[in-house]
Amino acid sequence: MDQIINDLSHHIRLNKGFFLWMGFLALAFLACLYAYIQQLRYGLGVAGIRDYISWGLYISNFVFFVASSLIGMLISAVLGLIGLAYVFLYARFQSPILWDVTVITTYFVISLLLLFLPMIPDMAVLYKRFANLPSWLKPVYKVLSLNWTDHPEQNRIIHRSIYILLILIIPAALSIHTVTSWLFALTVRPGWDSTIFGPYFVSGAFVAGSAAVIIAMFFFRKNYKLQDYLTDLHFNNMGKVLVLVAFVYLYFNINEYLVPGYKLKRADAVHLKELMSGHFALTFWLVQVGGLLIPIVLMLFRKMRKPLPLTLISIVVLIAAWFKRYLIVVPAMAHPFLPVQHVPDNFKVYSPTLIEIAITLLSFILVLIIITLISKFFPVIPVVETAKEKGLDPLKSNES
Amino acid sequence: MKKLFYILLLMVITLLRVEAQNPGWIVPDDQKGKICLVKFTPDMVKQGEALYMKNCQSCHGIPTKKNFAAIQPSPGDLSEPKAGTQKDGELFYRITTGKVPMPEFRNILSEDERWSVISFLRSFHKGYVQPDPEKMAASMGKRIRLTMAYDTAKKKIMVKAVELTKNGPVSAKGAEIIVFVQRYFGNMQLADPKPTSESGYAGFDWPQDFPGDKTGKVILGARVNDPTGSMQEAIVRDTLTIGLPTNKPSLTDTRAMWSTREKAPVWMILTYVLAVIIVWYFIFYIILSVLDIRKIKQIKKT
Repeated sequence: MDQIINDLSHHIRLNKGFFLWMGFLALAFLACLYAYIQQLRYGLGVAGIRDYISWGLYISNFVFFVASSLIGMLISAVLGLIGLAYVFLYARFQSPILWDVTVITTYFVISLLLLFLPMIPDMAVLYKRFANLPSWLKPVYKVLSLNWTDHPEQNRIIHRSIYILLILIIPAALSIHTVTSWLFALTVRPGWDSTIFGPYFVSGAFVAGSAAVIIAMFFFRKNYKLQDYLTDLHFNNMGKVLVLVAFVYLYFNINEYLVPGYKLKRADAVHLKELMSGHFALTFWLVQVGGLLIPIVLMLFRKMRKPLPLTLISIVVLIAAWFKRYLIVVPAMAHPFLPVQHVPDNFKVYSPTLIEIAITLLSFILVLIIITLISKFFPVIPVVETAKEKGLDPLKSNES
Repeated sequence: MKKLFYILLLMVITLLRVEAQNPGWIVPDDQKGKICLVKFTPDMVKQGEALYMKNCQSCHGIPTKKNFAAIQPSPGDLSEPKAGTQKDGELFYRITTGKVPMPEFRNILSEDERWSVISFLRSFHKGYVQPDPEKMAASMGKRIRLTMAYDTAKKKIMVKAVELTKNGPVSAKGAEIIVFVQRYFGNMQLADPKPTSESGYAGFDWPQDFPGDKTGKVILGARVNDPTGSMQEAIVRDTLTIGLPTNKPSLTDTRAMWSTREKAPVWMILTYVLAVIIVWYFIFYIILSVLDIRKIKQIKKT
């Protein structure tokens, strides 16, 4: 039993590596924070977005994080809130923005509870039995473990709560992706005016979310030495999941481009031409072929679902997922129905400014900081559950 | 060498094709001499500027700024000599008839309005001298005045044309009259043009189910349609209460998806509020019951 506790929790300590990593993150964070302060001071004009292309990197990031949030955790939700908090000034019940803010807030709380509840018994066990628990973390664990004694009544409450949350999170997750897609689909712009945007976004979120989980699994396994608990079998299974969801996403992609491509309504034609052979062609084909088609084919082979190759594929898929969001947001805005005329040149095309890129990095750094902190202070793999699977009773062995 | 020849041949063919596609925009000779019958005034130029900004600027840009639209054939900047060297009649004809992609303004701007646009353009043309209207007046057509009324018994719109001669008004015969109804965008011609009778009247059947506004008002117009130039343009506009009162509530008057916050559909507010209440009820329920975990320990102890 002590073996399991030590294996799964030995990473909960503040070593040199942690401080180096956090120091690096903090420096990068401050540098990028400067960019954000510049934006607060001088306004959105410091970004490359203008009247016509008013959704650029930021909305791409937002959609990307919402998609990746299928990891089911607070990470994305926090960022989603940061990105959108300012729109809650004038709530219109018909507006998808109001629904978006509501759903994200709800999703955030549910995710937080789902992260916290299964951890209550772990914290009780670690508080009592993990000798290396940093002393300053002890009171935190004591409070958060809520006097857990493995009492049947306590177990009943936890299980019932988790059960309700798991049911709640399904409509919440579906809503968050659907409502996000409606921010686009409730307009008549070519490229957004689509009835399948809801499921298209949901399936895209599954792809990005699965890839993110695989990458996280790989790094936790390697850095926290969890090879015995995150085995090749887990990676193999996650690989299968990723193939399945990528197939579904591919199916929606074909629908999304083939159907308007066949009809070629004038505005759609301009949009599709720009994507497939115009200004965005290179990104578009890299994303579709390199980020979806080739990964699917590769992952069909068992060898490619080993931890290292699967992680590399997932990184490509996740990067492609970000560019895919960019391709959904920017080209559609570059071709409004009304002609763009009598405006400065920088209104007609969009290119992100340094400040925008820095603020984008800021959000990614924030994600890394949150993941690092949480994984440094709390167990990544549930200790009690693992012990019980192996037929051990963590708390009782302590009392005996 | 052979290659060069082919390239040159190709270029020549391309040039010829471009020429063939662009035979120019020819103004009939009898239209070139047309002039404005009043002296351009600063007020006219001002009105012309407003009309220009509304109707012309989206393609031709602001004069002298050369910010015209990048379309083929190029609209060009109208302050340039290409427009400046044309006669008033030529400009007037081009504005009136249009040529794809330029729209015709025949039914959009009245003759006076077209002239004020030209007066605005002329303010950019150096060395332009307006032909004297007084001297030219003799060569212009007859001056016509129109009046319009609804004949309840005949159910007809009666347009009367009167020629203003030196000796006073005289009924004008044979003036071709067009009647139109004002719509949101442009005018709708009511029937085929009709010449006025001996007594100067032209009657147009009025459809009894024609929709008017809330009180049945319809804005009607009539003008002389005379391509030969023997009569000057004359136009009359009048609001007659002869339409079917039509009260269509505005699309934003009722509760609807597309309306403002105050007019949100009830079902939508209910769905939203119910969804939030149900989900958050469970969330608070869970938070409270999880806090109960602490108490269980205490109960056990005591």
